[in-house]
Amino acid sequence: MIKLKFTLNNLPQELNVPDNMRLLDILRDELNLTGTKEGCSVGECGACTVLMNGKAVCSCMILSCQVMDTDIETIENAEQDKILKTLQDSFLKTGAVQCGFCTPGMIMSAKALLLENLQPSEEQIKTALEGNLCRCTGYVQIIEAVQMAADILHQDS
Amino acid sequence: MNLIGKEVTRIDGDQKVTGKAIYGNDIKLNDMLYAACKYTDIVTGKIISIDTSAAEKIPGVKTIALYKDIPGAQKVGPIRQDYLPIVNDEVFFTGDVIAVVAAESREAAFKAADAIKVEYEPYKPLTDPRKAVSPKARLIHPEYKSNIVNHYPLRKGNIKIGFQVADAILTRTYTTGFQEHAYIEPETVTVEPDHSTGGFNIYGSIQNPYTTRKVAAMYMNLPLNRINVIPSVLGGSFGGKDDIINNMVCRAALLCQMTGEPVQMTNSRENSLRESYKRHPYIMNYKVGFTREGRIIAMKIDILADSGAYSSQTFFVTWRSVVQATGPYEIPHVETDIRSVYTNNCYTAAFRGFGSPQIIFAQESLMDEIAVHCELTPLEVRLINGFKQDSITASGQMLSEHKVSLRQVLNTAVEKADFVNKWQANREFIKLPPRYRKGIGLACSYRGCSLGAEGTDVSSAIVSIQADGSLIIITAVSENGQGLQTTMCQIACEILGVPLADAIFLAPQTSTIADGGPTVASRGTIAGGNAINDAAQKLKEDIFEIIKAELKVKALKDTIWKEGMIYTKSGKKPKSALSFKEAVEKALQAGINLSAYGWFKAPDVSWEEETGKGDAYFTYVYGCQIAEVTVDSFTGKISVDQVYAAHDVGQTINLLGAQGQIYGGVVQGMGYACTEDFNISAGEVLSDNFDTYLIPTIQDIPKITPILIENPDKAGPFGAKSLGEPTFELISAAINNALYNAMGVSSAALPLSLEQVFLNHNLKKPERQSMIACKTESSSSLSVISAKTVTPTTLKQALKLLADGKHNILAGGTDLMIKMRNSAETHQVVNIKPLSELQYVSLENDTLQIGSTTTFAEIIANPLVNTHFPVLASACSQIGSTQIRNIATIGGNIVNAAPCADSIPPLIFYDAELSLSSAKGTRTIPMKDFIIKSYHTAIESDEILTAVNIPLPQPPKSFSHYFQLGRRKALNITRISICASLEFDQDKKICNCRIVAGSLLEKPGRLPELEEFIIGRWIDEKLYRDLKYRLNSILNPKIGKRWSASYKIPVFVNLVIAAMADFKKQYSEYKNDQA
Repeated sequence: MIKLKFTLNNLPQELNVPDNMRLLDILRDELNLTGTKEGCSVGECGACTVLMNGKAVCSCMILSCQVMDTDIETIENAEQDKILKTLQDSFLKTGAVQCGFCTPGMIMSAKALLLENLQPSEEQIKTALEGNLCRCTGYVQIIEAVQMAADILHQDS
Repeated sequence: MNLIGKEVTRIDGDQKVTGKAIYGNDIKLNDMLYAACKYTDIVTGKIISIDTSAAEKIPGVKTIALYKDIPGAQKVGPIRQDYLPIVNDEVFFTGDVIAVVAAESREAAFKAADAIKVEYEPYKPLTDPRKAVSPKARLIHPEYKSNIVNHYPLRKGNIKIGFQVADAILTRTYTTGFQEHAYIEPETVTVEPDHSTGGFNIYGSIQNPYTTRKVAAMYMNLPLNRINVIPSVLGGSFGGKDDIINNMVCRAALLCQMTGEPVQMTNSRENSLRESYKRHPYIMNYKVGFTREGRIIAMKIDILADSGAYSSQTFFVTWRSVVQATGPYEIPHVETDIRSVYTNNCYTAAFRGFGSPQIIFAQESLMDEIAVHCELTPLEVRLINGFKQDSITASGQMLSEHKVSLRQVLNTAVEKADFVNKWQANREFIKLPPRYRKGIGLACSYRGCSLGAEGTDVSSAIVSIQADGSLIIITAVSENGQGLQTTMCQIACEILGVPLADAIFLAPQTSTIADGGPTVASRGTIAGGNAINDAAQKLKEDIFEIIKAELKVKALKDTIWKEGMIYTKSGKKPKSALSFKEAVEKALQAGINLSAYGWFKAPDVSWEEETGKGDAYFTYVYGCQIAEVTVDSFTGKISVDQVYAAHDVGQTINLLGAQGQIYGGVVQGMGYACTEDFNISAGEVLSDNFDTYLIPTIQDIPKITPILIENPDKAGPFGAKSLGEPTFELISAAINNALYNAMGVSSAALPLSLEQVFLNHNLKKPERQSMIACKTESSSSLSVISAKTVTPTTLKQALKLLADGKHNILAGGTDLMIKMRNSAETHQVVNIKPLSELQYVSLENDTLQIGSTTTFAEIIANPLVNTHFPVLASACSQIGSTQIRNIATIGGNIVNAAPCADSIPPLIFYDAELSLSSAKGTRTIPMKDFIIKSYHTAIESDEILTAVNIPLPQPPKSFSHYFQLGRRKALNITRISICASLEFDQDKKICNCRIVAGSLLEKPGRLPELEEFIIGRWIDEKLYRDLKYRLNSILNPKIGKRWSASYKIPVFVNLVIAAMADFKKQYSEYKNDQA
């Protein structure tokens, strides 16, 4: 067992978790935050994407010991976060959501991009989201949504 | 219209973007148990014994269910009941389940399933459909007396006469492979006891709740009314969450009954790929006779479909094929025969398209060949033969009840794409081929809407107006993600004239609304929408009766209902009258029931089994897609640049949704066309996860132009009909025709993999290749990690821990996590990620020093790397994905030493040296000497790779080149790579060169014989010719016997030639800059 200390959605957490637990399981099973999804378990689909210290990572590939002293952000942080909220609105506006299973991961990857760059080119958007698979939408409206959110946030800043 | 055809926000979107939507695996019930399946260890054979004793002893295990525990029907299936959710004494394919375990944790359940020991008497798997049809072949299900599942014939006219009068005849055989749905949400079901009914409640990723209920009732020997299926939010289906879900529900329900507790069963992705049904592979023989003007006179079609181990939906899938196999063309003489056969492969069933993508690939590829034969354009040959109003189909149906818009969709798409000019221009280039060749191709189709003669075609809806005017909408057809809920609400709200925000959609429970048929066949809008229309119109009329006196109007048509108001029409101008809410109040006061049941029954269709004659569908849609591609003739890689997709939808209801269906269908169709090469060998599934089964990423998409054409059809609500499947079924033929346009040759098989395009036949790995070092047994589906971790605070501490040689090092974890997940042993893990001593990039003494736990993201962002080592930067930037590069470390990549590891060839190229440390001391070793073979390096079990040191390249100026070949544009396993550098002397001769090949030889390394050969030469045509011979003689002895050699050798030759051409270009640009 590990006595894990980390920050989750800006709140400090202290949990006792087994050594073999993945960050994905900590979120979904220990903390009942089921917004982060499991799609493939091997880091190839991005449905489990969260932000760790501001960078997009696949939480199915992170072992509990690696979470110590990190800053984790999940889709559930949207109420408090302007970037996430703007992305949520734009995803709905452009039709970027169909079954929605890839959506939390997509939005988190998009946030990681917008944290660094509020004027991304289409190419940069694609690179930021290249690890997030979607089977429903064909990605076009997702790219539009990220572009729209970037424009709005850039104008506000 | 206010809502129909407009951009609206989907009504179920909020829960999805906030992560609050409850999908099947998000459900947690009190005392819930977890289920795991014991899959068969062999492909097919008899079961001699099953030993569950070790499994029963695992702590947390509550019960193990076997065949003998089934209370009801042990065999299920939509048409023929040949499928066993838990097998008896025989297994038929690799996904068969022998026992199921319920335990208190997922870990315990998986461990117990793995501990069940079974003894078998294996049969030789029968996996070739052509062999399985032989009367001498072993019968897979002897009770059916034949491996042939069904045969549908279709006869029109007289085929003999047809071929006699034809001027020319073409014969072709086309084949298509398996395809996996690859919804991002794996299959999941939860079954709980319901004490109020004495039965069960069933949740989960369920596409067709009524079918699920029916199967569960049969299996558990319960009446339908005691089972309630309540689908959760569905994470994608595409037809795929039907039979397999029913089978999972049977198992979970059985465990639920045996334990009295709720049971959840969720598939890992590996189990999903292994067990879930796939699209039918088809072998299609087409013989077509036509006049020299391009008019098709006769068509003989013979199709053999692989039904896999069970019949499932085969009867219906192949029926659609027999109806539509000729394509949307009026042909006087037709003879079509489709047969399907049992094999020991994965069973095959419903998948978006449902028997159409295969035949369209064949039919539309053939049309372009006919065109070229007759010196027509692809457009002309289709206009000559294509359906017009009142045309007669192959089954003898006159197309008179709807607008036949084939020519309209064709002409619209062709005009928008400037197709004919581009097509002709591209053909000129075949004569003087550059490396990258452009092609444009089109495909068109017609598609029967809804079920046709497959069965009873009805649907149900409830529209319930509440006292405050808010609406509850329910239909039996359900939301798969396609936007059904929104569309249904738009229809109801448009009719009643209320804002969309006033309606909610209540997901159907089987106990609350009548069976309205499955959500399949692109029938959601037409069937569900018609039922909604029925209910909403009734309500409108009933309310009108109450208010007409007050409004002083006689007829409903004299009113306008919009924006929550009911106006009367007086001449041209509406006059304000009542609000909807007021009207509702009045109606309720008058005692009117404001909850209406709507019903849809499809118009009659017909089908004669012996002749294939009949009015197969009550209406049709037409579509045309055009693909513009670039083909890399050096590697066989197809890049789809632009797609135009024209679809007659009758009437668009949900505009964003319709566009989304086009984007999604095209991209999923591209996967079917190019990268989704499902690998099953001797019945064993080798495509075991998304690293080997490749669906398109965001980097792979073309520019897509959706063109929605509207010819409102009396058969649909507001004239709307079908879109979901037409958008998928066309693109593979369009791409193949574009390939034909670009190269002068098209493919007779899907997918258009690199090898298929380059060699005109496919190559498949005969054994599994994955990123992990250890081989896994095909039956192991552990999915749990067993580890003890320790995080040292200094490097010295870490080295001390490693001294026993029994520890695994965790830095990024992208390789270790996968390795641990597939192994039963408990791993002792040392987490070195937090050690700052190992994370740096610095320049010292003309050497770039990179700490081993530096991530690839950090490396490619570093200006020193980009300036001095562009080949390393380029290679590392193409590793995996952004998420992977954020955690994967250069040290991990090197030490794991996968054959396709991307950082290794550049490091050899740049003469890197590695520093290794142990408790005993440190040493250095050149990168080129570190790799012994795949997954084996010179590292000792007590050592850590601490740093990578790369000497700065010294003058004189050399040019560098890097190229990496992958099957798609992100999340790749590198197929081949080349790192190269060159120096020129004053005479432009090559005076120095360095070439490193990756994923080519037994291990990555320089090619000294090649380098020697090149030095002293000029870069010219003679060099390119000589390189071919020299490289072949260098590579053949080394790798000529490998299964991939016939592809890799010529492609590597091309890549070397391409490198030389690039160097020539770089050199002249450099000289120009200097001048």
